[in-house]
Amino acid sequence: MGLPLYDAHSDPGPSFFQYAQTAGFAPSQHASTLESPHATTVIAVRYDAGVVMVGDRQATGNYIASRDVRKIEAADRFTAIAISGTAARGIEFIRMAQLSFEHYEKMTDSALSLEGKANYLSPIIQRNNLSTPLIVIPLLAGWDPSHRVGRIFEYDGAGGCYERFDFATIGSGTPFAENTLRLGFRTDLDREGALELGAIALYEAGDNDPSTGGPDFVRNIYPMMVTITEQGFQELDVDDVAARFRSINDRRTQSGGVAGGTLR
Amino acid sequence: MSNYFYVSPEQLTKDRAEFAQKGIARGRSMVAAIYDNGVLLVAENPSASLNKISEIYDRIAFAGAGKYNEFDRLREAGIRWADGTGFTYSREDVDARALANYYAQHLGDMFTEGQKPLEVEILVAQLGSTIRPTKLYRIAYEGTISDEPRFAVLGGEAEAIRERFAANEESVHSLQETLKNAVGALAGPDRTIATSELEVGILEDRGARRTFLRLTDEQVSELLR
Repeated sequence: MGLPLYDAHSDPGPSFFQYAQTAGFAPSQHASTLESPHATTVIAVRYDAGVVMVGDRQATGNYIASRDVRKIEAADRFTAIAISGTAARGIEFIRMAQLSFEHYEKMTDSALSLEGKANYLSPIIQRNNLSTPLIVIPLLAGWDPSHRVGRIFEYDGAGGCYERFDFATIGSGTPFAENTLRLGFRTDLDREGALELGAIALYEAGDNDPSTGGPDFVRNIYPMMVTITEQGFQELDVDDVAARFRSINDRRTQSGGVAGGTLR
Repeated sequence: MSNYFYVSPEQLTKDRAEFAQKGIARGRSMVAAIYDNGVLLVAENPSASLNKISEIYDRIAFAGAGKYNEFDRLREAGIRWADGTGFTYSREDVDARALANYYAQHLGDMFTEGQKPLEVEILVAQLGSTIRPTKLYRIAYEGTISDEPRFAVLGGEAEAIRERFAANEESVHSLQETLKNAVGALAGPDRTIATSELEVGILEDRGARRTFLRLTDEQVSELLR
């Protein structure tokens, strides 16, 4: 690769995706009929000091392909991206987003706003999803430093971007997780409340959706839990997460496999 | 009818070099130096937003002297090259030496074939790691690339500043001492430079992937105290 110099009228500006297209190393958009594995549950819940995200770890095809996939990644210090859909495209999408935000920051010496990041991803999702069956649906959550609030953005299959003020879920486990969230969400949730609700919602999805991996006590693999706050992207450590899921599991054992009257 | 005059290559090169030197001399100078924990870049820059020092990649920084629009375009190309290379291969494959060579080729081409040579001098600094050494590559307007062992000076008064800096820099010092020496060398004996007219950036390991840090006026004042 030579030195990428452009004339003022053909300069791709601070957009890495635009540059990648110009330079020819952006993902191709040739149509294909290849179906590939997709199934997931990732949940984002807003609370008073930011956003909690919980994601399962299982990659599913015709069989379980992997049990320890990371579906939530930090896109930068204050932004998290989660993916559902085709793994290959999803991982590439996360790389493109991570690099794009950093690229913009280096080129312009200022960070993109959270809303700017959310909007930036729309055409990338649209371009991918409308040209191949290798669908990717991401979920973006972050701490907005200029408005001092946690924010969640969800996308539809055509790249439409919608801000959610309560919670959002993506993946095949959505119906089960969403029902739990609808019953348990309150506008005054604190960190602990949001983590607990997110964990229960993911447990429900793992319990009912064959393609969502619940807590794996045998291999000691648990869903990922992260918070995005003024302190940035922070992942809960595995012992903390294990204790939360063990506790839900014990309660479910007592009440015969169901929540048993209250959300717990 | 037009007339063609013969101009010897020696004369042409001399004229072009003079032109570029004059352009570079119009801008303020900058110093880059290796200190005990990293690389320091200090530029005299009255503007707080038109930067001369910039982050290129995780362990690579850029500095330019001379015509702003010309070196800024090179800075942008460097960021694109680095991000593109890291995206295609891996982050550890992004090497300052390769970038410095591309810059040298481009400046050399512009010097011999361009409408006019670029009126810039640039520096590519790399913070060392387990797989690469700490490096300062200075690239002159005509494409000469030099690997500076401890420090580099860019800009119009480079020679005088180099002498002043070298007089106090027999070995590698702390950030504070290196910064004091660099600012003293930029200012010279007869004047002082206000903190607001200094642009300071460092490459230093702080436990994160990205090592570039732009120091604020307060941080610079604190270090210069």
